[in-house]
Amino acid sequence: MEPTKQVKTVCGYCGTGCGLILDVKDNEIIRVRGDKDAPVNKGQTCIKGAFAYKYVHAKERLKHPLLRKNGVLTKVSWEEALNFIADRLSFFKEKWGPDSIAMFACARTTNESNYITQKFMRAVIGSNNIDGCNRT
Amino acid sequence: MLLLMGSNTTEAHPIIANRMKKAVRSGLKIIVVDPRKIDMVKFSHRHLQLEVGSDIALLNGMMHVIIQERLYDEEWVRKNTDDFEKLKEKVAAYTPEFAAKITGLNPEDIVAAAREYATAENAMIAYTLGITEHHCGVNNVFDIANLALLTGHIGRKGNGIMPLRGQNNVQGAGDMGCLPNQLPGAFPLADDKYRKRFEDHWGVKLNPNAGDTQTRTFERMEKGEVKALYIIGENPLMADVHMNHTRKLLENLDLMIVQDIFLTETAEMADVVLPAKSWGEVEGTYTNTDRRVQRVRKAVDAHPHVKEDWEILCELSTLMGYEMNYENSEQIWDEIRLLAHEMYGGMTYERLDKEYSLHYPCPDLNHPGTFVLHERFYRPEGAGEKRASFIPVDYTPPVEEPDEEYPFVLTTGRRYEAYNTHTQTRYYQEGIKIKQTHETVDIHPDDAARLGLEDGEMVTVSSRRGSVRVPAKVTDKVKPGLVFMSFHWRDVPTNVLTINEYDPISGTAEFKACAVKIEKMN
Ligand code: SF4
Repeated sequence: MEPTKQVKTVCGYCGTGCGLILDVKDNEIIRVRGDKDAPVNKGQTCIKGAFAYKYVHAKERLKHPLLRKNGVLTKVSWEEALNFIADRLSFFKEKWGPDSIAMFACARTTNESNYITQKFMRAVIGSNNIDGCNRT
Repeated sequence: MLLLMGSNTTEAHPIIANRMKKAVRSGLKIIVVDPRKIDMVKFSHRHLQLEVGSDIALLNGMMHVIIQERLYDEEWVRKNTDDFEKLKEKVAAYTPEFAAKITGLNPEDIVAAAREYATAENAMIAYTLGITEHHCGVNNVFDIANLALLTGHIGRKGNGIMPLRGQNNVQGAGDMGCLPNQLPGAFPLADDKYRKRFEDHWGVKLNPNAGDTQTRTFERMEKGEVKALYIIGENPLMADVHMNHTRKLLENLDLMIVQDIFLTETAEMADVVLPAKSWGEVEGTYTNTDRRVQRVRKAVDAHPHVKEDWEILCELSTLMGYEMNYENSEQIWDEIRLLAHEMYGGMTYERLDKEYSLHYPCPDLNHPGTFVLHERFYRPEGAGEKRASFIPVDYTPPVEEPDEEYPFVLTTGRRYEAYNTHTQTRYYQEGIKIKQTHETVDIHPDDAARLGLEDGEMVTVSSRRGSVRVPAKVTDKVKPGLVFMSFHWRDVPTNVLTINEYDPISGTAEFKACAVKIEKMN
């Protein structure tokens, strides 16, 4: 299979930060290699970095927001899910105060998403109850 | 020389291990400090196979020797440090013989390791969760810092302390302020000057009091004080200690929101589940284990109903009456560069694209990034400008020690091909041969013989908190009396066994030591 494009990126598993080149065809990653130009790994990768990428295209990926209705997680629209959360969080904040809400942030997502996560907690919720698996 | 502590580098950080092995070929000496005979031992010239959780006794023992034999630079210590006398007093009791008794090592090996580390021209300490996942994790780290500071092995190339971080962006998440006491740029929340900077830009008043750690949040959940928990891309039910307890706490919540790429064990319990974009579908930056910021790029389009983490939070925020609008990740990064300019000011996407990576602090566009931290210690004009204090600590044994009923110490960690709770590494490319496809309890041949166990035989492993069934793997990688398991597989939830004891400062749980018993199935 000939790739239609190649994308340089960084591995999403451990903290080593190996540079990778992804071969992409028909909107699917078909091969991952170590990037020779990468200062950390100079072309090498471990088995996870090179081969454990299929989860991106797994059919079990979540594709719709789910909301528990009568005890069952049920497909709903984004609008319904986000309105539900916004209403509930506003209510908790009002009734029990900002510190009745807590956030576990994600050590796997980007700096940019993490920045927004803490901004949301601090500026919108008004609480510093934000932590991640940074303690390990 | 390299002191490698509590790090199974070949399995958890394979590429870093490759670089260490390569360095060994050109003369690097490695001392491995680990209760298990891990793969790196093959490349080391000394293995200190100490008892689980006895690191402080070893480190204090080494410092005892270094002080007694005057293997440190007194002038340098006087110029750069405070509280040396306190350290000296503390480690006085830790003679090599006393340290040997606690660690189970030979006194001669402790003396030899101390001399080798102290007299090496360059010496570095690298550590992983074998140091931090203890009830005394913070003290372990203090003591590592004490040793580096005593010998001046810090602030020069080839020296220093390197915690090897487990997740691609665990460093970045903390640096971005996803900590209860820290603002983006790792600025202290309590500092009025920094807080004001963020207040002015965000247009809100910020709560100056530190929030709750994850551990404290669990405590407050138990009391019913936390009503809502929002979890992004984490699977605490599987990953945290004492799983049956964690489940009860999560059930206690009024509202649990999970944002993830799969319906994890934790997500199955949630009230709302939000589908997020994954690696390969987003643009942005990660910060790796040595403060290197690098660009991650989008390779494929995500499913049209899936949103990026920041997008979801911005929409939610706007719905709650605080407008947040960004066109792309670069706009967010530029806000970070503006507000935490001391750290990231000079790191534009453009530069990262061109230069591949930059180490923070990188305050302006002409700054090359900071490859070595704490260089001030060795700058003639810098010496003494900002002194560092020793923080002497004492050894404390693991909270739960083996006894007659639960005679084994269980220590936990990762295995090579799997990653954390395995939600992603179950999807390997076809045709890849995986060596370990299921969990085992790794046990020493002597113990196996005593229990009459064959390799591969099913056993029950139990602690005071729960039990799991798992096949035994007979291997001399562990010492007699010690068993090892990982936490990757959902059919063997190892964390039903582990203990909910935490470091009082960091809140990190003691994943690395609890007492278990092992029984044959019939
Ligand atoms: S390729 Fe392997 S060593 Fe490199 S970052 Fe990925 S998981 Fe870590």
